Amino acid sequence: MRFRDSWETFRRSRVGPIGLMILLVFVLMAVSGPIYVYIRGEEIYHPLKGVDPVIKGVSPPSIRHPLGTDHLGRDLLAQLMYGAQTSFLIGITAAAMAVFIGTSVGLTAGYFGGAIDNLLMRIVDIMMVLPGLPLIIITAAAIGKQSIWIIVFLIAILGWAGTARVIRSQTLSLRERPFVEAARVAGASDTRIIFKHIAPNVLPLTTLYLTLGIPGVIITEAAISFLGLGDPSKVSWGMMLQWAFTTGNTYNPYWLFPPGLCITLMALAFYLIGRGMEEIINPRLREI
Amino acid sequence: MSLATYIIKRTIQIAITLFVVITILFFLFRVMPGDPTAFLLDPKMSPEAKEIIRKQFGLDKPLYVQYVLYVRNVLKGDFGTSFYYGVPVFERIKELLPNTLLLWVPAILLSYFIGINVGRRIAWKRGSKEEYIMIVLGLFFLGMPIFWFGMIMIWLFYHELGIFPAGGMMTPELWLDPSTPLWKKVADIVYHLLLPIITLSIGGFAGSMLLMRNSMLDTLREDYITTARAKGLKESVIRDKHAARNAMLPIVTAMSISLAFSAGGGVLTETIFSWPGLGREIVQAVLNYDYPLAQAAFFYISVIVLFANLVADVLYAYLDPRIKY
Amino acid sequence: MRLLYVAILSSLILFTLSPTQEPSYGMNSVLLKVGMQDEPKTLNPFKASDVWTWNVIGYFYESLYAYKPLTFEVIPWVADGYPEFSDDYKEAIVHIKRGIKWEDGTELTAHDVVFTAKIMMEFKIPRYWSSWEFVESVEALDNYTVKFKLKECRVTFMEGTLMSIIVQKKKWEKIVDEAKRSEDPFNYLTEYKNEKPISAGPFVFGEWKRGSYIFIKRNPNYYFSGYKFNYTFQTLEEMREFLSSRPGLEQYADFEEKKITLTIGPFVDGILYKIYRTTDAAILALDKGDIDYIWWPIQPGYVKLLKENENVSMISTPENGIRYLAFNLRKDPFRIKEFRQAMAYLIDKHFIRDRILQGLGEYLCTVVPPGNKAWYNPNVKCYGDEGQGMSRAERVRKAVELLKKAGFSWEVEPRIEGDRIIPGKGLIMPNGEKVPEFDILTPPADYDPLRFETSRRIQEWWREVGVPVTAQPTSFATITQRVFKEWNFDVYVLGWRLSLLPDYLRDFFHSSQIIKDGYNPMGYYNPELDKLADEFVACGPREEKVKIAYRLQEIIAEDLPYIPLYSQSNIEAFRTDRFKGWFSQGLGSISASISYLKPVNTTTSEVSEQGGEKGIGYESYIWALISILAISLVTTLAWRRNRR
Repeated sequence: MRFRDSWETFRRSRVGPIGLMILLVFVLMAVSGPIYVYIRGEEIYHPLKGVDPVIKGVSPPSIRHPLGTDHLGRDLLAQLMYGAQTSFLIGITAAAMAVFIGTSVGLTAGYFGGAIDNLLMRIVDIMMVLPGLPLIIITAAAIGKQSIWIIVFLIAILGWAGTARVIRSQTLSLRERPFVEAARVAGASDTRIIFKHIAPNVLPLTTLYLTLGIPGVIITEAAISFLGLGDPSKVSWGMMLQWAFTTGNTYNPYWLFPPGLCITLMALAFYLIGRGMEEIINPRLREI
Repeated sequence: MSLATYIIKRTIQIAITLFVVITILFFLFRVMPGDPTAFLLDPKMSPEAKEIIRKQFGLDKPLYVQYVLYVRNVLKGDFGTSFYYGVPVFERIKELLPNTLLLWVPAILLSYFIGINVGRRIAWKRGSKEEYIMIVLGLFFLGMPIFWFGMIMIWLFYHELGIFPAGGMMTPELWLDPSTPLWKKVADIVYHLLLPIITLSIGGFAGSMLLMRNSMLDTLREDYITTARAKGLKESVIRDKHAARNAMLPIVTAMSISLAFSAGGGVLTETIFSWPGLGREIVQAVLNYDYPLAQAAFFYISVIVLFANLVADVLYAYLDPRIKY
Repeated sequence: MRLLYVAILSSLILFTLSPTQEPSYGMNSVLLKVGMQDEPKTLNPFKASDVWTWNVIGYFYESLYAYKPLTFEVIPWVADGYPEFSDDYKEAIVHIKRGIKWEDGTELTAHDVVFTAKIMMEFKIPRYWSSWEFVESVEALDNYTVKFKLKECRVTFMEGTLMSIIVQKKKWEKIVDEAKRSEDPFNYLTEYKNEKPISAGPFVFGEWKRGSYIFIKRNPNYYFSGYKFNYTFQTLEEMREFLSSRPGLEQYADFEEKKITLTIGPFVDGILYKIYRTTDAAILALDKGDIDYIWWPIQPGYVKLLKENENVSMISTPENGIRYLAFNLRKDPFRIKEFRQAMAYLIDKHFIRDRILQGLGEYLCTVVPPGNKAWYNPNVKCYGDEGQGMSRAERVRKAVELLKKAGFSWEVEPRIEGDRIIPGKGLIMPNGEKVPEFDILTPPADYDPLRFETSRRIQEWWREVGVPVTAQPTSFATITQRVFKEWNFDVYVLGWRLSLLPDYLRDFFHSSQIIKDGYNPMGYYNPELDKLADEFVACGPREEKVKIAYRLQEIIAEDLPYIPLYSQSNIEAFRTDRFKGWFSQGLGSISASISYLKPVNTTTSEVSEQGGEKGIGYESYIWALISILAISLVTTLAWRRNRR
């Protein structure tokens, strides 16, 4: 069985399972966020709207607020949990968008070749060398309206070139394989060959790039928020750090460390899973 | 095709890329709201006074005229006048560009130095505990938001330990003193450089480390390694002389690609460490709606990245005898 | 390879052990070290428009009249006595003190004043233009007498025109001539770099290393050095009352004489401005003693950290500024006064003060901040915030009542059960249409998260009565574009930094400002206000002005084109171990005390002067160099060995 083999390789990579475990913790965190807020009372514990009648400002961890409160007396644990949700949401959305664009471009370029290939790859070349973060910074500022979805969109738009290049070279080699040849002889249309025969074969690679793309999105969102171009109407870990910085709580460990560590660990988790997957996809990396 | 034609071809490609960059930038910033008067929201500033300022910057002309003017000026090396500083943009860039190079070049070299060395080691010790720890540790640092890490570094090394300065590029008291000899001034700048460089390198070495590892693993399967082993050569000789040298090639290509990515880290590090470079300036200029300056800063960051790319490509071609341009 | 690790590790340890010492001052002098977030843009006073620039070059220029510290009365400064007006207020004669010197030793005369005035008028210098557009001509009658002819007299003549800077004719004459001959005179003049400014003020220009620091030196020939401001009181209570709102001022008080005396220095040899881009870095530097003062407000979160340092103190002072919410009165339902009043009832300003500002600031009922005591009208209508403030239920009840009276209705009417509010849905305007969804444009949380928090609360409160509103974080430039240039908005939240003289009551609300780039983007028009505001800005006795200002504030509070929200208090942090004498004026920044600061203990600085050789932790540089060399040496060795 292929799946079992793959899982075995993944497991033996040792880093993969760790990543998966960390990720599981974050999934649990994201899911239990609303439950936590519901059980303890929306009035007080809502990450954005909560108003605690007793604690009015920054406070250290207590039984009432396990991670303490922010400058408005809002519960930091609730924010952290909702932040996990946001991170998953934006990470997966942006990475999926980028990988989708990248895969489409890569498939098109690789399959059709010639002038189309040349044109698309020149565009990829340009995209590859554009300094991403500075460009996102200026574009976000140019748009003016500060919405998290605009940031997600920008990250996706600027982040597909790497995938495109890899998928293209994969497609190039797949195109020459006998089964594609056979399909062509049988009179299958280009679309059918691409979607039916080539796309499934690049899927593992696509998944890998999706996994490796997510941390980048999360870190970039945090950086954008930190620079003051984020969306204050959504709780994200980057926004939590931004609140800590702009209210002078940078050196308040209860506030500084949890979001930063969460970003780091979630990124780590995806990277580790990516490593594990790479061992499956790229057999040359397996232990001899 | 000779090396010269290859370089020429690459240069043309770079020129096209830069032209695309200029065009994107121009339109981005012209549709952007705000102008030099945006921050002069002051009841003492009458509409008439604002119009005077706007005229000064040529913003009363139609868009396409502005574009043609802009491209023509850029080709002449003139990026216009900074809205914020009121000096020709190039004058600012001229001051900032060397500072940026001073920080980025050593940081990238150091991070690659660490990455390559650790990478080939852990590839060689495939499956060891060391490999495992280095991978997890490297990825941990890679996942860390660098601005967050930088703040912790400042707090630790400046505030708690008092080893490094809080940021900036020089100690004003030292530079103000006319009796300070030159070497002390140089040492002062090096001293201010260390912490940002260390931060940047720690945050980024994992990329090259993993690349090196994978590339090494690939190389180790090659026939000539087996041959070398069969010849009974010393392990370290095989590792460093045969395997590592060949494994370096893909790293050089990867380096050119990851440069664009490192620029992001550079921007954030400069901001955190108050380093007067292009990266900090681009953030500041964007927040000030100073678009001529932001454009030029972005343009020159792109130039750095592209130039580094060219160097990496040529280096690659030079290193790898198999490449026919 | 192992060698490499050892090398890195050992050099790190070496580093840790390397001694770091209190830096010497580089020069044999007592420098006040000030942290700034940004450096000046320029040294040209005709171009400068931002605070960072004025924080530096403001020390180079004097003016004819000035505000007296603490009480903010207008007093003659370079001028000798108050201006002599003609009967119709169209001519004024100002005398000038003799013996005021520029730093190069030449005297400041009427010719300098006239020369500067001509620059203001001929080049229409934007920062000063509104104070000079009504001036017809200025001439020097002799070296010490200036005659102003006015087209009309405005209140800003004293508190604007006569408070403008004065530059030296000798220095600027050539530049102005060249500017006039150039293609674009205004451009030529403002692009002039002025790398060597000539000062008549307390400090003269020293050195500027772009991106790192700027240094200004004490002006040894400063005319006003030793000048004393005296404040005497009838009773001790009165004096204590005066001191209580001005922390730090007691250092200058003589309780026996019932007198406060401020003596102008400067008593420091210079100011060294260091640039810190992040507040965090500046805070740490202050805590470590690398700077004496951070010249911008710090956020309340730092208070805890700094309180642990016994050499650091903090003073919080109300800012002379307001944050407000404004409506687009061209649109429904915002044009309906009752709607605006109902919305005002729904905004719980007590909550904003206690929760969002954490008590660091005051909520506002009028557009003049309470700290501006001379003009502040304490008795305007405040929509549920008088005294203790209404409860939420009371506010909703009141708002619903007002809306109903104006003909509003609901799809689902909001109800109040005890203390609980069941939110309404689908507010319908008197004309039968539903209130459309709209945004409150709010600057995002980049440097001030409080404004957005406020807007988001307002969103929640308004939604309770079925108003479909969303707080929309929008970049500052987009807001100014949409509000002031395009009038394309519904509601926005912004702030103003204000002048002491409330002539802004006219600027913000007069119908003549309903123009592109004008300051009345709301489209607010009230003929009574227009008339009063025009009267206010014309010259006349002060008591009358105060009466008009009070009336203007009442009209605005009734009509509510603005809902004034709050005025923040700024916390400023400074060290007390090297300089003493920091105080608050009760309004604005404590930086005003720099001219009066005295070094605490001159011996400390002498010690470090002598210690120039071993000061500044030169050792750390040497150690740094040695370590780098060591690292590279050992690595090269290790590298070589490995390759062999």
